[in-house]
Amino acid sequence: MKKNGSNKSKKLTIEIIKVVVLFCFGLIMMGPFIWMVSVSFERMANIQPPFPPRLFPKEFSFFNYEIILENGSLLKAYFNSFVVALGSVALNIFSALLAGYAFSKGVFKGKKLLFVIILATMMIPGEITLIPMYMMFNKVGLLNTFYPIIFPSLLFGFGIILTKQYFDKLPNSLREAAQIDGASEVRIFTKIFLPLTGPISATLIILSFMRSWNSFIWPMIVLSDQKLQTVPIYLASFSMEDGTRYAGLTMGLATASILPVIIVFLFLQKYIIQSVALSGLKGE
Amino acid sequence: MKKKSKNTQLVWYLFLLPSFLGLALFMAYPVMESFRLSFFRSNGTIEKWAGIDNYIYVFKNAGFWQAVRNTFYIGFFQLLISIPLGFIIASIINQMKWFKNFFKVIFFIPYVTSIVAAAMVFLYVLHPDMGLLNTLLSSLGLPTSTWLADSTTARWGVIILSVWHQLGFIIIISLANLQAIPNDIYESSSIDGANRFKQWWFITIPNMTGTFAFFVVMGWIGALKRFSETYILGGLQGSPGRSLYTIVGFIYERGFGGNEFGVASAAAYILFAIILIFTIFNLKISKMNKAN
Repeated sequence: MKKNGSNKSKKLTIEIIKVVVLFCFGLIMMGPFIWMVSVSFERMANIQPPFPPRLFPKEFSFFNYEIILENGSLLKAYFNSFVVALGSVALNIFSALLAGYAFSKGVFKGKKLLFVIILATMMIPGEITLIPMYMMFNKVGLLNTFYPIIFPSLLFGFGIILTKQYFDKLPNSLREAAQIDGASEVRIFTKIFLPLTGPISATLIILSFMRSWNSFIWPMIVLSDQKLQTVPIYLASFSMEDGTRYAGLTMGLATASILPVIIVFLFLQKYIIQSVALSGLKGE
Repeated sequence: MKKKSKNTQLVWYLFLLPSFLGLALFMAYPVMESFRLSFFRSNGTIEKWAGIDNYIYVFKNAGFWQAVRNTFYIGFFQLLISIPLGFIIASIINQMKWFKNFFKVIFFIPYVTSIVAAAMVFLYVLHPDMGLLNTLLSSLGLPTSTWLADSTTARWGVIILSVWHQLGFIIIISLANLQAIPNDIYESSSIDGANRFKQWWFITIPNMTGTFAFFVVMGWIGALKRFSETYILGGLQGSPGRSLYTIVGFIYERGFGGNEFGVASAAAYILFAIILIFTIFNLKISKMNKAN
């Protein structure tokens, strides 16, 4: 009986220690964001951030945000990022669902080879394709539009692997009944299997949207017009332009770009974390 | 009967058409064209045959080798720190009774944010005099650093940013794989008298080797392609002193900074070769581990 008592308090102490340790780590992880928000609301923050760093601004003010909203470039960048993401996600889902279904349920010549080719594309770094794609889109005069960013979403190798796995788990018996009735493959897909793709589509949308929203290098290469900048490009051009940079304004911009993402994430966190975890569960 | 089977086969190719159209236009063609370009001197409009001159140039270029050194340095330390740290944190979270989800979310948030925005913030966090990090370190009595201000320490600024940004991914994947380890292994070892730590050391870790291998392979591929954050923090030349100059930074500077498309393509293929070698090497090692 004595042993049980001391064991219980020992376990409780260990639990509390775990929480404290993780909380400290968590504070360090969130530290940059918390400071970022604090500096952005600081009227006193000029070129240098307020020193020493404090949690609550000495003089709270929306000043930096007024400048940002008045300027309007960030809002435009949000709109641009959204349009690009919508297009990319749509193409991603469309082609990945179709291809995954074919690789899962289809019977046709060359199926194995074609699938291996898809796998191979995942090993090829996108950086090789930058220059030729740039030249190609330049030739057809599509540079400085959203098309070069959206079109390549036709190939979503990772998505195909996920959808194939998903369709593999759906029983073939679903097909057999419809086949006896003489339905075409397209009908079978659209009427029977497509309605069942809710969960995997949600995962794909999340992963695809995240990838598109945060993508930087290729959009930066393609877009030179200021009015077409996506959020990361706008942030980069602001960060890297010559001249005095004001800490408060920079942090305000950073907050305005990051906070909405975090809020959306908090609403969807269960699904987002699940989707990312899924992408790492199947090793090879 | 024959007609029917031909038609049914055809429709499957239609299902594959969008993806393979994308593959042909945006993967196959660029990969081949990039290879062709690497043998020419090109500025995008005018081409001149150069044989393997571009490759020789890149291999002899001091800037390129500095980029290689920087890329490997940053990648190595970033993985060395983030994989064990992420795994340990995941192990703790996995065994917690309260606040499990809270911590999952907290550690994951940096990962969903854009690295560009994060780099912007870290420009200030890493400020030698007024930055958050040095203030924290000195308040704990720890030594501070010049971080991005000096070429000898700048890479560690990138390493810290990278670890901070990627940690959530490692934690979440580790958690998912930790939870996949069947409980009975732990139960039977408990009966044999193994304590928590022994269980963690002798059961958990060996069962996670596949996950670790995944982290290392994926991590290195990502590390070799590092550019966005070094571009924001160090500009086109990877200042200070080209210490933040990475391999992709070289490709970008030559290709889109200097319009030397041939040289940039050669460098891109060298990068491709390095990535390929790494991947094959890592896959072989993990196959060996699996066999054991």
